Amino acid sequence: MSSVEVRSVTKAWGETRAVDDVSFSVAKGELVVLLGPSGCGKSTMLRMIAGLDEPTTGMIAIEGRDVAGLTGSARGVAMVFQSYALFPHLTVSDNITFGLSVRGTSKQEMAERLARTAALLDLDKLLRRKPAQLSGGQQQRVALGRALIAKAPVCLLDEPLSNLDAQLRQELRREIRALQQRLGITMIYVTHDQTEAMSMADRVILMRGGRIEQNGRPAELYERPATLFAARFIGGAPMNFLDLDDAPLGAVIAGSTGPALFAGPGRGRVLGLRPEDVAVDSANGRAAFHATVTAVEYLGGEALVSCSLGDRAIQARTRGDGAPPIGTAVGLSWDAAASHVFDAASGERLTIDTGTAATSPQLHTVTNQGQIRA
Amino acid sequence: MAAPRASRLNIHLQGWLLVLPAVVLLATFTHVPAVETVIDSFFSTPHGKRPAVYIGFDQYRTMLADPVFWLAFRNNLLYALITVPLAIALALLMALWVNGRIKGRAALRLAFFTPTILPMVAAANIWLFFYTPDYGLLNQIIRLFGFESVNWLGSPATALPALMAVTVWKEAGFFMIFFLAALQQVPPVLYEAARMENASSWLVFRRITWPLLMPTTLFVAVNALINAFRVVDQVIAMTGGGPNNATALLLFYIFQVAFSFWDSGYAAALSVVLLSTLAIIAFLQFFLLDRKIHYR
Amino acid sequence: MNRFTRFLTGAALAATVLGGSHASATELTFYYPIAVGGPITKIVDGYAAEFTKAHPDITVKPVYTGSYQDSIVKAMTAAKAGNAPDVAILLSTDMFTLIDNELIEPYDAIATSDADKAWIKAFYPAFMENSQAGGHTWGIPFQRSTIVQYWNKDAFKAAGLDPEKPPKSWDEMVDFGKKLTKRDGSGAVTQWGLEIPSSGFPYWLFQALTTQNGAILANQDGTKVAYTDPKVIEAAQFFADLSGKYQVMPKGIIDWGTTPKDFFEGKTAMMWTTTGNLTNVRTNAKFAFGVAAMPAKARGGSPTGGGNIYIFKNDDKAKLKAALEFARFLSAPERAADWGIATGYVATRPDAWDTDAMKKYTAEFPAAAVARDQLKDAVAELSTHDNQRVTKALNDALQAILTGAKQAKPALDDAQAEATRILTTYQH
Repeated sequence: MSSVEVRSVTKAWGETRAVDDVSFSVAKGELVVLLGPSGCGKSTMLRMIAGLDEPTTGMIAIEGRDVAGLTGSARGVAMVFQSYALFPHLTVSDNITFGLSVRGTSKQEMAERLARTAALLDLDKLLRRKPAQLSGGQQQRVALGRALIAKAPVCLLDEPLSNLDAQLRQELRREIRALQQRLGITMIYVTHDQTEAMSMADRVILMRGGRIEQNGRPAELYERPATLFAARFIGGAPMNFLDLDDAPLGAVIAGSTGPALFAGPGRGRVLGLRPEDVAVDSANGRAAFHATVTAVEYLGGEALVSCSLGDRAIQARTRGDGAPPIGTAVGLSWDAAASHVFDAASGERLTIDTGTAATSPQLHTVTNQGQIRA
Repeated sequence: MAAPRASRLNIHLQGWLLVLPAVVLLATFTHVPAVETVIDSFFSTPHGKRPAVYIGFDQYRTMLADPVFWLAFRNNLLYALITVPLAIALALLMALWVNGRIKGRAALRLAFFTPTILPMVAAANIWLFFYTPDYGLLNQIIRLFGFESVNWLGSPATALPALMAVTVWKEAGFFMIFFLAALQQVPPVLYEAARMENASSWLVFRRITWPLLMPTTLFVAVNALINAFRVVDQVIAMTGGGPNNATALLLFYIFQVAFSFWDSGYAAALSVVLLSTLAIIAFLQFFLLDRKIHYR
Repeated sequence: MNRFTRFLTGAALAATVLGGSHASATELTFYYPIAVGGPITKIVDGYAAEFTKAHPDITVKPVYTGSYQDSIVKAMTAAKAGNAPDVAILLSTDMFTLIDNELIEPYDAIATSDADKAWIKAFYPAFMENSQAGGHTWGIPFQRSTIVQYWNKDAFKAAGLDPEKPPKSWDEMVDFGKKLTKRDGSGAVTQWGLEIPSSGFPYWLFQALTTQNGAILANQDGTKVAYTDPKVIEAAQFFADLSGKYQVMPKGIIDWGTTPKDFFEGKTAMMWTTTGNLTNVRTNAKFAFGVAAMPAKARGGSPTGGGNIYIFKNDDKAKLKAALEFARFLSAPERAADWGIATGYVATRPDAWDTDAMKKYTAEFPAAAVARDQLKDAVAELSTHDNQRVTKALNDALQAILTGAKQAKPALDDAQAEATRILTTYQH
């Protein structure tokens, strides 16, 4: 039995469909991230799971029970809001126990559970303060405490870290994940930050325009993006997209003089390459694709090297101290297995055996790249 | 060492120069008259060629023995203690109502606010018609239910409550605006957080809305209280303090003593009492209640 | 004391200032209140213009100062600021207040010629009672009134009474009142016999009752009142009995302003109110109505009321002279007649009633002469030193009696004690 089951759910506001026929399920103890740009419907989806909004059509089941008409605690769901939604006039302990007091929990039990939750979140010393006297991170913990104390089987988090600075975000990310695993609760986590999604999730559901673009483990999304959109959205530096063209020996990169990449037509197809898969070699090396460095973005441990490949731009990632100076002529190479081919019109991933194409030895320069990456 | 001191002095001087116009205005029209009133209250009223003479606390002694003063003071206290909570409760109810998502909300807001826009004397005239014996609106209604016509403004028992009703009616719409503004300051997500816990609407009001409105409520309460001691126009327009001083309020009595009786000394003493009362209210606001209320 | 402001039915009349086009030797500031409906400002401006035409060396600047109460406040405060008006129309009962504050000039000090002296004697004596004190004449009657009774002839007919015969005595009034008071099935009253207003200034209407009972409320010098005269107590008891014992009048305080409306609406068959309401009633009553002199007990009669012309003290003799000239102009027979016809006030002097305009008016509308004919029985309106306080003591007592809060005797005893306390300082 899955913890949360969403079946053909649609939410329409008049003509627009914020969520359009979405189905997925979340297993018990799983952390699923709803990922997508703003307006993709992920928050609406979360609110429908919380019971704050009712779906226009479709069904939501929690712990195997159809929960239509129930809200929040009544359907076994707790929620952490983006802005924390702490009651400004109540102390930390009153905020955390608000839900329990609404349900008439005994004083003693309330105290015990408060103590346990506070210890869990390291809030012991802050219980008598008011939200305004807390830092952003502390407020976040209080909001989390309020969601956890009820021991609801499902916990929903709506962009819980977006108001915090980068370092705190990283810390809390780890902490939330650890807590979730320790307590074995099911978590659905909404974010627009792919790093957050990739680092925390058991599974990522990537949404776009109210629909699911891809639903899979983080590695699947990274390694086999199902669409151009997924490919573009996932990953640190944005993926390179190069239009392909037809050539006698197979598909070639449009506007460049390199060799064919694979047999078959190239026109109407797009080659996707992650910068980290592109190796930069000296121009007189074995690399078949000759390019010129146009810009270098130094990031410390690594650097993003922008090159012009014919009349196309392409980015590669090198070690921070290995970036060639601007204007250098370089050779580029990549592992055939690292290339992703998409249909330009539909954006769908195409399964093409790039390895068997009549390609030249430069595709074997991985060793070189391996050294660079080391 | 001299240079920084001089420049600091200069800054002080500039500061004082900047506030000077405000200070002069405030002093001329507020503080000087207030102080003069206190001084005047220790002198007799000048009459023709008889100048004012110092008489110490005589005016205050007269006041202590003046039954109309005590009646006006008691009336005013009653007036404040009854109209303030009623006006606030009504204002809050109306604000909660028009804050909700209902049809014709804008029209309703306007309707609630209209009494506030009306000049007091116009409002008083409308209510004079409501209260008219026999064919007044109120009496027509109660006669429908088989009750006898009541002379609302003409009986000592009903005249003051009748004036109170006008005040509540007029003030509530004004205070509603403050509550409405305060309600709209409450982040909707707080209500969603409460909804997640399935809190009843009464509980949400009691534990969230009401405490968050507390600063507004205090502000409104103090204003209402001060207003209650400043009422004079509707008394003049509706009852003239009658019957037999049943609707005499402090400021009205001061007005009468000063401009009907031309007893400026006694009026000054009465004004000092009114000023002190208002000062105590303001003091209560700033120094006692202020600390116990959550401000965002 | 703004007794007429309540039925101010006309549009708001803004004060307009008549600017003299050429520089004049003397400029007079003239304060006047408006207490009745009609284009009063326009009429007053017309008088001022007419006066300047006849006296090119004097310019009159009329200033509308609101109700009577507003006007005395403005005049007093302006005087205290050293900026007193030269001429003002104020209540006749404000006389002692003005004297005590040494603001006004007695007429006899400036009106010295034979013609002037004759002019002072030209007015109805009843009006002069409130204009003279201590052997001086302080005010000249301008807009004066008395109380009269109005009755609904249709209601009289319906009750089986002779529609042409108003009550002539208190007994008749009670008797008629009982016949005119109608009740519906549940016992609720649908038409009252009589309304005597008791809000604001009940002493004035009460004074009609005391006069008829043969009592005089205050002495001519305004230093003594007789609130506890048995005849006064009896009158107060009768006032209360009209609603209590006889049940011909509504209980509680009857509002001055709504009384005429009650009369138009048929809620009361008879009412007591000022002659100043004549035009109002004539315009609004949808039935045949009559106006008559007050009923009698020991005698008939009513107090007078309304405003006098006062001249304010001034060191500038030329100004005083100009002011006197203007006062004479305002109170001339033609103006008195014109003013009476336009407003409903009683024209203040017998020769005004002999003017052609007035003759024509009374021929058309004989009711207009009722107030004049009643003047022979009229007495001075209650007026003393510290007038408003002394009359308020009586007002409070009357309202206490009428609302049943106090018995007549103890209430009036209290009022007398208060009045005596106030007046002691004036009894030299």
